[in-house]
Amino acid sequence: MTNCTSRRNALRTFGGALAGILSFSAAKTAKAVVQKGLVTTSAPKGYDPTKHKWLMGFDIDRCIGCGSCVEACKTENNVPQGASYFRTWIERYIIKKPKPGSGEARGETIVDSPNGGRNGFPPSMVPREEILKSFFVPKLCNLCVDSPCVQACPVGATFDSPDGVVLVDPKYCVGCGFCIQACPYGCRFMNPETKTADKCTLCYHRITRGLQPACVEVCPTEARIFGDLKNCAPEDPIMQFIAKNKLQTLKPHLGTGPRVSYANMDKEVR
Amino acid sequence: MRPFKLPPQIVRLVILTIGIVGSYVLARHIFMPKSFGQYGHYRGDAITEIAAREPHYGGQKSCNECHSEVLVKIAKFEHKTVSCESCHGPNKAHGDDPDHKDAAKLSSDHCLRCHEFNATRPAFLKQVESKKHYADKGKCAECHIAHQPNEVP
Repeated sequence: MTNCTSRRNALRTFGGALAGILSFSAAKTAKAVVQKGLVTTSAPKGYDPTKHKWLMGFDIDRCIGCGSCVEACKTENNVPQGASYFRTWIERYIIKKPKPGSGEARGETIVDSPNGGRNGFPPSMVPREEILKSFFVPKLCNLCVDSPCVQACPVGATFDSPDGVVLVDPKYCVGCGFCIQACPYGCRFMNPETKTADKCTLCYHRITRGLQPACVEVCPTEARIFGDLKNCAPEDPIMQFIAKNKLQTLKPHLGTGPRVSYANMDKEVR
Repeated sequence: MRPFKLPPQIVRLVILTIGIVGSYVLARHIFMPKSFGQYGHYRGDAITEIAAREPHYGGQKSCNECHSEVLVKIAKFEHKTVSCESCHGPNKAHGDDPDHKDAAKLSSDHCLRCHEFNATRPAFLKQVESKKHYADKGKCAECHIAHQPNEVP
């Protein structure tokens, strides 16, 4: 009787140990496989995201609507061709004169952005003498502090990086498109090639290497101003821009805390 | 007095709970990447992965390494705010290897991209209606020098 019990016990212990070892090694293999798919090695070395805070600003009075920025952005970031895929784009605002005797301050506002302004803008349909004022507004991700897109993402693929850029982790993104609907500025799109959400990264691969974003690099009139708020001198363009202009943000009433600043912006711009 | 013994249904419940929590911990251990939570509720390695892409535009600094005389010249004229790659196109490949030359040929269309008249354009920008300005459209360089726009040849 005792013999029988001890054999059973021995078998039980042995089996348990075997199962333990097997499951442990299986877990290790599975982990190695999963990590291999998620980890890459090539990246600019020596960049610490906690030591930077990037900011983009626009001087609307300087924008000439040439579309160089849109073109450069498409080239630099391999943004798909096509009229609905933009990381940055330009809008043309035309505010008409009010009808004589109507007692209104301004007339109708017409906004257009043919092909995102990539090929420039054709002459406007509104005759020149009917235009009260007109201007170009360049747009991109507003780098919100409380980003609706980050809150909407169900898988934690979109995040605010410590250096102030809202990024998408393409390996986590499942392409549900919630963030695209959540963004009140229309700054996101579904990339038809990767099937993931895509947006302006402030040219993250460039700024981490000490270069300027492509759109800022090619802007011929310095309408786009870019800088690092954590490492800047008072005479740097971004600090000069902040000090010398009265700045506004887009849709401040939504509480998204957009950080991208606009100088000389009209109230019609949304 | 009999020693206290947990009822079997409670024992089963405890084992089940341990099983569920244990499998959760195991699954988390397996599937969660190491860098998750490094900076926040996301994968920290995603930052370096996004940064790993190769740039196409080399930047003004890299142009300045060899073509500084052009930049010195251009700094005296109206086009001083225009960077090289704004007209000449993305040229990091040329910066890395000077023998690699595929810069876009510039035509008058490129000048008119900025200087064609448009009612929306701000007044500080010099604009022309190309058809009225010069009937033989397409030959800006006959009269204007791109690097020294104020001078007439």
